[in-house]
Order: sequence, then C-alpha cells, then structure tokens
Amino acid sequence: MSLKKEYDVIVIGAGPSGVASAIKCAEKRLKVLIIDSSQNTGGQIYRAPPKSYIKKNEKSLKENLIQKKFSEDLKKHNVDTAYNHTVWQVSPGFRVDAFNENGTVKWKTKNLILATGTYEKIIPFEGWTIPGVIGLAACTLILKSHQIIPGKNIVLAGNGPLLILVAYYILKFGGKVDAIIDTSSKSDWLKSTFALISNPHNFLQGIFWMLKILISRIPIYSNSMVNKVIKNEKGLSVELKGINDHKTKVINTEVLAVGHGLIPSTDITRLLGADHIYNELKGGWIAKIDKYFRSSIKSLYVTGDGSGISGAIAAYDKGILATCALLYDEKIIDEKEFNNLSNKILRRLNRYEIFAKAIANLNSTPKELIKEIADNTILCRCEDITKKDIIHATEKGAKDLNQIKTWTRCGMGPCQGRTCQYAIASVVSNQLNCKIEDLGYLTGRSPLRPVPLDKSIGDFKYEEITKVEEAPL
Amino acid sequence: MNLRISDYFERGKKVKIIVNDKVLEAFEGECLSIVLFISNQKNLRLSPIKNENRGMFCLMGSCQECVVLLNGKKVTSCNVFIEEGMIIKTGDLNES
Repeated sequence: MSLKKEYDVIVIGAGPSGVASAIKCAEKRLKVLIIDSSQNTGGQIYRAPPKSYIKKNEKSLKENLIQKKFSEDLKKHNVDTAYNHTVWQVSPGFRVDAFNENGTVKWKTKNLILATGTYEKIIPFEGWTIPGVIGLAACTLILKSHQIIPGKNIVLAGNGPLLILVAYYILKFGGKVDAIIDTSSKSDWLKSTFALISNPHNFLQGIFWMLKILISRIPIYSNSMVNKVIKNEKGLSVELKGINDHKTKVINTEVLAVGHGLIPSTDITRLLGADHIYNELKGGWIAKIDKYFRSSIKSLYVTGDGSGISGAIAAYDKGILATCALLYDEKIIDEKEFNNLSNKILRRLNRYEIFAKAIANLNSTPKELIKEIADNTILCRCEDITKKDIIHATEKGAKDLNQIKTWTRCGMGPCQGRTCQYAIASVVSNQLNCKIEDLGYLTGRSPLRPVPLDKSIGDFKYEEITKVEEAPL
Repeated sequence: MNLRISDYFERGKKVKIIVNDKVLEAFEGECLSIVLFISNQKNLRLSPIKNENRGMFCLMGSCQECVVLLNGKKVTSCNVFIEEGMIIKTGDLNES
C-alpha cells in the first residue's frame, strides 16, 4: 500500500478507540491514516498473535477474534494503515514524525485523533529492577498474544481486576500461580460489588474467573504488598508484607508480575502544549477535554483510555464520539445528525463510567505503598536514581517535577519519565506534604522514543543537502 | 514443562538464532523479548550507573529496559520478531 503525504485525519493508536475513529472517518469519505507501533490492530488489550502463528481449529481466544475483526473492518473501509511505525514527534499544525525499520517518515494532517492508550503504573519496591520482575500487563500480553506461560512458577502482585484475569489465564493454560498479593482488602472488593454489577457481563465473567482461582487454592494475601525481591539461584525470593499488620512472609518463585493500575499516555498532548488536568480516578494527568473529546487545541481530539481510563468497551464508543465531534467541527455532518449519533453513545458511556469508577477504586494506590519505599530503592530505572536522590533534591529546594528532573536527571532517560513519573510525584508529594497536582507534570519533549541515528539520517548524497543562506556577520 | 501451550495455534517455522554465541531454537515471528525471557535468558542489559542486570519489563515499547544488540545494533527486543539467523548479544552492550 502506498501512503499519501497528507491526510484529512491521522489517528495515532490502533486499539479499540483508534480503530473506531478511523472507520467512522472513512465512512464519511475522509482521507484517514491510522498509525501503530505494533504489527497489527488491537492495541495492548487485544494484541495480535505473531503473524506466523497458524490457527489450529475453531477454538480462539475472544481477544484474538475481536482483533481480527478490527483489521478486517479497516480493510473493508480502505483505511490507510502504518503498522510498525513508532511516532517520535508531533508538531503543531499537525506534522507527525515516525520511524520504522526502514527509516523515518513524516505526514501532514489537518485533524489529529490521539488514541494512544495507557501504560502500566508500577509502584517501586526494593528489587523491582531485577530481571524476572515484570509488569502485570506484560504478563497478560505474553499469555494472550503468544499463548505462552511466562514461567514455571509465578507470583502475581498489585491490585485490581487484572490480578484475577492474569491468574485465570495462567490456570487455564495449565500454569502455576504461587501466590496472589493484593493491596486491596476483601472488603474493598465487596464494596465495589454493587457498582460492578452495573456491567453484568463483565461482572459474571469476573466471578467465573474468581471461582476458578478459589478452586485452585492459590494462596491470596489481601491487604498486602511486595516489600522486597532478592535474586536467588533458582529465581526470585519475594518478601510480602501486610499493609496494616506489617507481618512478612517469603515466597520463592521464578517470575513476579506486578501492576498497580494504568496511566493514560499524555506524551503527545504534553508535547503539543495542550491543557491538562489531574484526576486520580481517571489515572492521573489527562488532557483536558470536553464531553466530546475535543482537547484545548483546535482539531486535536483525545480518545480511548488515553483520555482517562474507562476500559476497552467504552474506548470504542469514545472513538466514535470523538470522530462525531470532528465531523461536526469540519461541517461534514449537521447538528441534527451530530445529536442523533452522539446522544445514544453518551448514554452508554455514562453507564460504563459506573463500572470504570469501581475498577478505578480497586486500582487506587494505598499511601502505604509510597511511604514504605526504602531510601535505596531505584525510582527512575533509566538513570538509576534512588528515592534518596529525589528526597535530596527536594531538601535542596526543588519544588516541582521539572525542577526535580533538572536536579537529578529523572525523566531524562530513554523512557522519558513514563515509568517513573507517577512514583516520583507520589514520593515528592508525600515528602513535601502537598498534592500531586501541585507538582505539575514533566514537560513533553521529543523524541518521544529513542530514534536510531542511522534511521533519522537515512541515505543521502552530499550534493542533495539544502544549503542555508549565510547569516549576516 | 512446555511453556508454549498448543491449544489454539500451530507455531510458525522452527528457526535458529544465536544468543551470546549459543544456538537457541524459537519460532519465526515470535517476540524476541518473550523468547529470551522463557529461555533462561532474562538478563538483557546493564543499567547505566550501577551496572545492574535489567530485563524485559513493560513489553509495550514504553520502558526501554529490554534493549539488546541485534546484529550489532541496539534495539528494544519487545518489538523485534524472530527471524532465522538473528545474532543477539545481551549483557554489557557497550563492550565491542
């Protein structure tokens, strides 16, 4: 497929929200391109299996079926696709720069829809950098996209429904879970039950997963956290600790998968200088949007979980709604059609929010997790910066995240603060006794991802380089 | 214990890659990070200041922890897909 240089709409991210947006644009005959860093549609939630895997029989994971349909729908609507392309810069107006294994590319677009999803929130503890400790979301991806069990023995830790889902898949695939360490208490789960019933399908599925876990007799440590991980000859020695009673216990295992919820990706909106607001239940910092997902910048729409977490089903609807706003703003549909399309979806989204809020409550980070971080624990993995280094910067007078960054280099490494920003902000807000939002957020900087120098230069002849006019002396 | 379950898919072609001068068998198209992780090769690189072992962590191209040398070039192994004859080096990536 040959791609154009300019589009009416570019959608970044081919998860549920991006796919829904792109299809809606194509239905109205807009020139639309969808970009994703992975090989196919699906985003993280429905990550596609390797292309070389061949289906054996009629059996399929539900996630794989949904992903397949996404790809078919895009094809049917003749949407241009740029898979395997990592976006490393977006400039106003809009210009989108990306790279793939062949080099760099750039596109221009009048409208931009960001459907960049989330990454995982992981609160640091001693030993979280040891290989073998992975994200809970990473664990899900290994199970669902590759149908591989990450290890012979696995301990799951963190909070929220992902713990249950991952445990269920490991058991379903014949693996062994040594323990589940949940920061929530049993009563936290009970309190959420009422709201969770608002989505009966997901609720029943959760109950079914839970039953499988209970029958398997996996030890569940509620109201507990990972205190420390040490490497031993066989794998990992995981020390857990009761959040209230401080009782400790050591479990030996091969893999520890840990996750404390999700953080909306704001890389691009921060880079473009859009307005942001802080909403803990939506995942932290999110782009400021109206109820139709318009950002503070004209022709820039932010949708899906990247606009605030409400789950994959809601993300699809959010994508349609954001596109309706775009179509209305571009005068492609009139007010009547806009209202017809959007009202129904808004009602559905309101219903999803009840469920999303309950999940968010289960994923809220207990203060103790932050307070218990040891002084020598690394917070910024890229630059090996410890809690002690961060506290030192605050004692010397650093008052916001950007000052802490300048002081310590946290957030300057290749991950650009995606892994550490939440934890560092939490540690500093605890230290300075202020709200996280008072600390601001790391200013967006390009490149958003490390760009290999040979790719950014590409092949050229010296004569082809444009020479600029000499500057006056 | 076979960690690759076989209920749903026939894996692709079996291929050989070289990891730190040793031959490793895997299936074409599989994610390099995952293959290394389940093949007793969890240590991928050293951290810049403390020189501690690091490995696959987020698996979605965000954390940049899973960098290895692929045919001599630094890449995040989570978005590399196995091909016959790939030469991988892990550990101290700056040592030539």
